[in-house]
Amino acid sequence: MKRRVGGLETEFGLVCVRADGSRALEPEEAARELFRPVVAMGRSSNVFLRNASRLYLDVGSHPEYATAECDDWWELVAQDRAGERIFAELTRTADERLAEAGQDARIHLLKNNVDSAGNAFGSHENYLVDRRGEFTRLPRYLLPFLVTRQIVTGAGGVAPAVEGEAGRGAGAQFVFSRRSDHMWEAVSSATTRTRPIINTRDEPHGDANLYRRLHVIVGDSTMSEVSTHLRFATTDLVLRAIESGRALPELGLADDIAAIRAVARDLTGTAPLPTAGGGTVTALEIQQRWLDHVADLTEGEESQVLETWQKALDAVRTGDRAWASQNLDWAIKERLFTQVMERRGIDLEDPAIERLDLAYHDIDPSRGVFFALQRRGLAPAVLPEERIEAARRIAPTTTRAHLRGQVVTAAQEHGVDHVVDWTTLRLTRQGAMPVQVLDPFATEHPAVDALLEEIRAQGGSAAVPPPA
Amino acid sequence: MSQQSLNAPGGGPDEISPEDETVTGGQTFASVQGTDDLLDEIDSVLESNAETFVRSFVQKGGQ
Repeated sequence: MKRRVGGLETEFGLVCVRADGSRALEPEEAARELFRPVVAMGRSSNVFLRNASRLYLDVGSHPEYATAECDDWWELVAQDRAGERIFAELTRTADERLAEAGQDARIHLLKNNVDSAGNAFGSHENYLVDRRGEFTRLPRYLLPFLVTRQIVTGAGGVAPAVEGEAGRGAGAQFVFSRRSDHMWEAVSSATTRTRPIINTRDEPHGDANLYRRLHVIVGDSTMSEVSTHLRFATTDLVLRAIESGRALPELGLADDIAAIRAVARDLTGTAPLPTAGGGTVTALEIQQRWLDHVADLTEGEESQVLETWQKALDAVRTGDRAWASQNLDWAIKERLFTQVMERRGIDLEDPAIERLDLAYHDIDPSRGVFFALQRRGLAPAVLPEERIEAARRIAPTTTRAHLRGQVVTAAQEHGVDHVVDWTTLRLTRQGAMPVQVLDPFATEHPAVDALLEEIRAQGGSAAVPPPA
Repeated sequence: MSQQSLNAPGGGPDEISPEDETVTGGQTFASVQGTDDLLDEIDSVLESNAETFVRSFVQKGGQ
């Protein structure tokens, strides 16, 4: 597919602590406080916002934000950032209410993927792919790319010492991604118990005769806009190559799960990985092969994706982190952890490093360490501030999200009760007919125009101000 | 996404043209100061109950 719709679902970690760091509220309670304005607005903790995104509370009290359908990966980054801002605002107002109630309690929302007990939660990428043909051969080619992609787009972190090893600091090490230790299968329909790299849940949210959904759940939540953009832009190019039907690099690995863990721990990118064909290949080789392979598929500004991808690979190959340590999450973190360890005379296993890792992913603009780096030019700020702010209110204009965004915005402005999901829009009054939009690329629809007319004719003004 | 916004401050994934080099030099200097200042800021986070905070962050798995 030349134009592809994609979306990003982010589950946030949640902790509510007193000033002394001890737990003030259980996650369930803190989540309820956080979602109070959402429930007041939508009578539910599962709502679609004016920017056509979905905001909800997932299993385990994880606040979750799913971007609307995007067909441009910088727009997706803007929409993802907008979600952080929306939740940061909800956190701020929840903290104010707690303070007014005299509670010593502050909520932290963490855009990371694992808590201190090792419970994992996700960052799920969705790509619309063509129903015809290629899905059966897709994993065979996509998996080696996904297994090794972490050397570019991993969030970095510390893999704890393996149990049984004696001595402090013995086994802990800096890794490209901690996600690899939570992956148990290559492809399956499971999500929690035996978490796969590719999940086969096939909910295309569109015409199932034409499309299916590729659900990639191996990624880390990324703070860097460069890292998030590369995740989608490079995966899109690889999918395009697979869909083209042409001959592809045969890089199938003997054991994807053993490989993904080895790649996470090898910061040189040169560890030999056994292939299905009986040879070996390195993470750097796999990434470089794909980069070279897709080069002729890029158009216009996409050549920049190749340049950035190449810089990322060069940072691993040469060990020169000058560019990477200001642009890619794993390398920004690698440098930061090193500086803090030197300054404090501690090692990777010190709790201060784990605290620092959590602070890096704290989405509060004033508390989060990522944003502190960004303010000093030590982490990328690619998107202009105005664009991120606009994305809080305005849906992507080149996909179906545009239609949903218009309906939600009009319904909120006129105080008209409504129910929407990814494909369906309807008013809650009795007898209202649902409008279904099955084409994810549709930006115009006569039935939606009629629905907008009806909302304007019916409505007064909104009683409850929306949270976004 | 336009090229212009790729050239936003903070070092996007853009190529640095030769005439930008003085600017880059200045930014590097600023970054050294920025780092010291940043580490001071981080100290305040790490010195207040780092270990207790970490232990407080336990949630059931998601997804």
